[in-house]
Amino acid sequence: MMRDAALAYRFVEERLGIDLKSADAAADLATLGVDSLALLELMFEIEDKLGLRVGEDTPPPRTCGELTQLLERIAAPRSAAGGQ
Amino acid sequence: MSARRVAVTGLGMVSPAGAGARAAFAALLEGRSGLRLLAPPDAPHPLAVPAGVCAEFDPVTALGKPRAATMDRYSQLGVVAGLEAWRDAGLAQGADEDRADWGVAWGTGMGGALTFERGYREVYAAGRERLAPLTVVQAMNNACASHLAISFGLGGTCSTHSDACASAAMAIGDAFRRVRAGSAPVMLAGGSEAPLAYGVIRAWLALQVLAPGDAASAARACRPFHADRAGLVLAEGGAALVLEDWARAERRGVRIYAELAGFGESSDHLNLVRPSADGQARAVRAALADARLDPAELDYVNAHATGTREGDAVEIAALRAALGARLSQVRVSSTKSSLGHPLGAAGALEAAITVLALHAGDLPPTLGAAETLDPECAGPAHVLGAGLRGARPRAALSNSFAFGGSNAVLAFRAPGGLNTL
Repeated sequence: MMRDAALAYRFVEERLGIDLKSADAAADLATLGVDSLALLELMFEIEDKLGLRVGEDTPPPRTCGELTQLLERIAAPRSAAGGQ
Repeated sequence: MSARRVAVTGLGMVSPAGAGARAAFAALLEGRSGLRLLAPPDAPHPLAVPAGVCAEFDPVTALGKPRAATMDRYSQLGVVAGLEAWRDAGLAQGADEDRADWGVAWGTGMGGALTFERGYREVYAAGRERLAPLTVVQAMNNACASHLAISFGLGGTCSTHSDACASAAMAIGDAFRRVRAGSAPVMLAGGSEAPLAYGVIRAWLALQVLAPGDAASAARACRPFHADRAGLVLAEGGAALVLEDWARAERRGVRIYAELAGFGESSDHLNLVRPSADGQARAVRAALADARLDPAELDYVNAHATGTREGDAVEIAALRAALGARLSQVRVSSTKSSLGHPLGAAGALEAAITVLALHAGDLPPTLGAAETLDPECAGPAHVLGAGLRGARPRAALSNSFAFGGSNAVLAFRAPGGLNTL
């Protein structure tokens, strides 16, 4: 697994209490208590604390699967460049 | 005027005495203090003051991580207190009835002070240009009320009162009037405060009203009415009351802790920080009149008394002016000696304690390092030591007097108490 994505997974678990590696990909984030405000804060913190760029045009993820895909996508460029 | 009576059917509290309204009341009756020495983290200059810290409060367990992360601590304290009160009243969180005219009235003096302070550190001290996107909605004074309305699907009023130390009492008074008038069958009312931020403590120190203390003396740093009192102790906390139309509560067959029978308010119109016995007495008289309560029926006053030299003596003078000869028969205590002063939330914590005193029949004490009362505070029957069990008060007042001269007094009756209507 790419290092930045692993960091992001750990960050999501710490902030939201959701383990994306074992979560049902179809699970609705809102049902898990992650409403639009919590997502907004999470995206800011991923950029701020992990230095990853989410991008303003990124639609907010609605499920655990979509959040996983988002983390993999934004972590990929740095991991590839860093070679770790 | 409508003859509706207002029942208190649910109570919730998070305080320095622990989680839960009943637990806090039990701690008070054991003479336990929730005060300790607090050294705020990340302080640029060393600072340690006595404070009322909700050390056992665990917002993540109570609210879940995602929800807790969207709230300032003052909202976390308030929502957890609200959840307890709602459950206590036997009400479901999801709407199983029409709640279009149910509402929430909340009080807070400083709202999201911790969020503001964190933001200022970021932009001024750290020189950053970007703040967390929820800074505004976490810090705003009506955030807690909004979270509560969302939690319980309350479609009526969602209002916030910010009148310094009278905030929550004003909110409870507002809610009371709505239920009594018939415009809301159920109201959630209370207040919360989380002011223990470094900058906030510095500001209160500058006002020269905080009680000094070290690790050994912090638990008894707040000594209202005592000769050696030396100031107030800042605290955090939240409390909520479910106010319900009496007939509705009876139909539901739920426990009625007490009747909220009257609300009185007044303005000192004199000075921002100097209290007025005349102004406070007018609020006490107004509450008694609103409740149609004869002073002869009044058995207990949960005083506002914060432990300052001037404030405590002025409150006794106000009670003397309003109650006359009856004062010597009235039991008085200030539970700030155990819980500290949670500013805008004080009226909610103390209203809940007053209700439990009527319900249980026991009176919590004013704690002190020595049992030497100030002669200037003589007059009422002070409740000291470990409180007074079996007092069975018939009616009680909860006083809240704020900087700015806003005075609010709530009048409660025991559910089986005399009614002079």
